[in-house]
Order: sequence, then structure tokens, then C-alpha cells
Amino acid sequence: MIALTGFRVAAYLRSHRVFQALLPILALLGILHASRAPRGEEAAALTDAAVLIIPFLAWAARSLLDTEPDDQRVISATSVGGHGREVGAGLLAALSVTLVFSALTLASSLFLGLEALPDAPVLTAAIILHVLAALAGVALGALTSRPILPSPALSIMALVLGFLAMLLLSATPAYWLTIPVTAWMKSAGHGALTADLPLLAAVSLAWCLAGLAGYVRLRRTRP
Amino acid sequence: MRLTNVSFRYRRRAPVVLHDVSVRLAPGDLVELTGANGAGKSTLLRLMAGVTRPTTGAVTGRPVAVGYAPDRFPTAQPFTVTAYLDHMAGVRGGAGWRPWSERLNMGHLLKLPLRELSKGSAHKVGLAQALMADPGLLILDEPFAGLDADTRSALPAIVADLRAGGTMVIASDHQAGLRGLPGLRVWTVLDAQVKESEPEAAPGFATVEVVLPTADMGSFLDRMRAEGYEARPLRDDGHHAEESSR
Repeated sequence: MIALTGFRVAAYLRSHRVFQALLPILALLGILHASRAPRGEEAAALTDAAVLIIPFLAWAARSLLDTEPDDQRVISATSVGGHGREVGAGLLAALSVTLVFSALTLASSLFLGLEALPDAPVLTAAIILHVLAALAGVALGALTSRPILPSPALSIMALVLGFLAMLLLSATPAYWLTIPVTAWMKSAGHGALTADLPLLAAVSLAWCLAGLAGYVRLRRTRP
Repeated sequence: MRLTNVSFRYRRRAPVVLHDVSVRLAPGDLVELTGANGAGKSTLLRLMAGVTRPTTGAVTGRPVAVGYAPDRFPTAQPFTVTAYLDHMAGVRGGAGWRPWSERLNMGHLLKLPLRELSKGSAHKVGLAQALMADPGLLILDEPFAGLDADTRSALPAIVADLRAGGTMVIASDHQAGLRGLPGLRVWTVLDAQVKESEPEAAPGFATVEVVLPTADMGSFLDRMRAEGYEARPLRDDGHHAEESSR
């Protein structure tokens, strides 16, 4: 499965689709870091970056999964010894790429977007949120990838609307009904990120895993 | 290997593609799968490959190593032939593909990008990746489509060798290219059922003469060859060319 994961990542890089996500991410980071966040606002700045990057990570994950032609998926599944492993390798490849983009975002925020480096608890929280952002990106990207939504127009709309729905729903008291990205930002803005993190991270992780489980289930009838 | 009461439909309420199919394959079996386009041949092959799960019923006894060669090899991938086969060998745990590339006469293709391959050349790459794993079950979807004459004549020998080693081979094959092999079983997919019938005798061959404008000759030959027929120009008399297709 690791070899197939490597094959998927290699195809993504060699097809140059990687630039379709990298360039918008660099543009976003340029805008975000045009002025450095003042001292005391490190948590808010890092959390905002973790949330804003999610649609780009979803785009990257979708693009990676869609690099592989449909017939190659069948070849890969027989080569790797089963449909489940093929699905797993695709998700692992998407997670690898989104984690790299997420790490790039965090590093640039730390070194280009802040006047002072955050203290250890805030840094730990920021790392957790960036990992959750990568997972959220994989879940949203996988659920809008070609085997699930064959129409490119519907797929792109679903990706964008999915992220907007996430933002809007998590601004309400029913924030726990989705990955609570707006609640992440609110909590960071109020200086309560480290205190609220266990609950927010647990809800976020549960929804990411539910999204991935939904994708795996849907793929059972969509090879 | 056994399919027991296998039924398949793509979605709930979608029409049944296969209904209550029970078939059995023993080591060394060779099956030619026939049926009209859209009858469900590819679905049956994918069920056997383990890529698709049956809606109801069970597939048991599938060998660990399965080789699958699609009817259209997906060339829209950013690799050369060598890089692609190296990756697939890695996925297979380090299987050796080079002996197969020699047997399929692919030496001149190895450095080419997949995107630049003709249909027949791409098909060879699909065959090489399916053969490299020493499969216990080899699934060939239209294996003769677009192949050059040399490889068309080499493929039955390859299949015979694999069978001798116990490999089960199932091929959907409009061109009946495996008819000459002994012990061939013929399955027909019709009305969502799979029926086994006695193989017909090996097909005879006929040479036909076609008269057509010189300008159309190249495309006509390409079309005939893409459909798996042996076609060559006989005469160009300045007014028209004659082609032979078999």
C-alpha cells in the first residue's frame, strides 16, 4: 500500500497538478502575511490561517485523487491486492500532500506572519489545528472527488459550498454539527483556544473521521 | 475459485446487471467470455478481479495474485513506460516485468511517455503489468484489440504457459483469438445470466478485397488494424488502391 501511495503522489507531482493548489496557497499566504500579527494575537493569526487553508487543501486532495484515470484505479486495486487498499492508498497520499501544505502554511505563519513567536501551548494548539485542517481537507476533497461526484461542475460547487456550510454552521450554537472551524477562530480570538481545544479538536476529529468513513463506504459501490 | 449466487446492480433500484450467477473455475482453466456490448462482461470481470463487490452472493477462492489487463489501457498518466512498470512492480512487491516486456516485444517502447503510445502499444503495457505478478488469476478484457501481428500470435502461447503453471485465465474476446487453445470453456453473458456453451471450432479465415480511394487507404488500414484484423495494401495503380483485410 505504501508503494501505491508513492505512485499516487508521484503522479500528482509529475502531472504538475500540484501547482494548481500550491500557487493559490502561496497567494493566500502572501495576503495573510502582508502585515505581521501584533504580539498577543498569535493564536488568532495561526488559527485564521489553519481555517482559510482548508478549501485549498480540499482542492489539493481532490486533485490528487482525480489524477488517476478510472481504469488505472482498477489496475491499482488488483495490483495492490484489493479495492480497500487502493482506497486507503489514495487517502494516505492525499493526507501526505495536505500535511505538507499545512506544514508550509504553519511555518510561513510562524516566521513571516507574527511579530513574536507564540508560547508552547499556543504553538501546540496551532499544530493540532493544522493537522485537523489537513484531515478536513482530505475528507472534503475525497467526498467531492470523481468517483463520488463525476460532474466537475457539481464537484467544485460541492467543495466550495461544503466549506461555506462548515463556516456558517459552526458560527451558530449548533457548531458541533460540523467541523467547528468558526468556533476555532472565535475561541482563538477570545484567548481561550488552549482551554477550548480538547472539545473543539474532539468534535473536529469526529467529523473528519465520519467524512472519511462516508467516502470509504460510498467507494464500495463506486470502484 | 467460485462465484455463488452472485447478483450485481450499480445502485439500489438500478437494473440488475448480473442475476444469481454461479460459476466455478479450476486451476489451469481458460474461459472465453462473450456477450453483446453492455451485457455485463466487464462487470463480471471486475467482480472476479475483486474490484467490485457483489450486491448479493459470494466470490470465494480467489487467488492472492490477480492480473487484470483492461481493454483500454489508461495512457493519461505522467510516466514513461519504464517508470510506470517500475511503480507497478513496486506495488506488486518487486515483481519482475522485464522478461514480459521482451516477450511482448516492447523494447522500443520503454523510454516513451505513456501519452505517446498507440492503442496497441498501450495495450502491451496493460498486458505486461497484468502478467508481471505471476498471477493465479489472469483477467484479460479484449486482449487482442489493436495488437500487432507478432504479439497477437505470441499471446496464445503466453496464456498456454501460464495455464500449465495453474493460472486461471478468463478473457472477454470478440476476436476469438484464444479459440485454438485446448480445453477452452466459453461463457456467454445474456439477460443478466452467465451460460456455458461448447466452444465453436476455431474460426476460419477469409481474404477480402476492398477497393477505395488512395486518400482513404491509411485511415482504412488503421481502422481495420485497430479492430484486430490483419490488413495490408496490395496494389496502388494510381487510380485506386486495393486492400486486403483478414
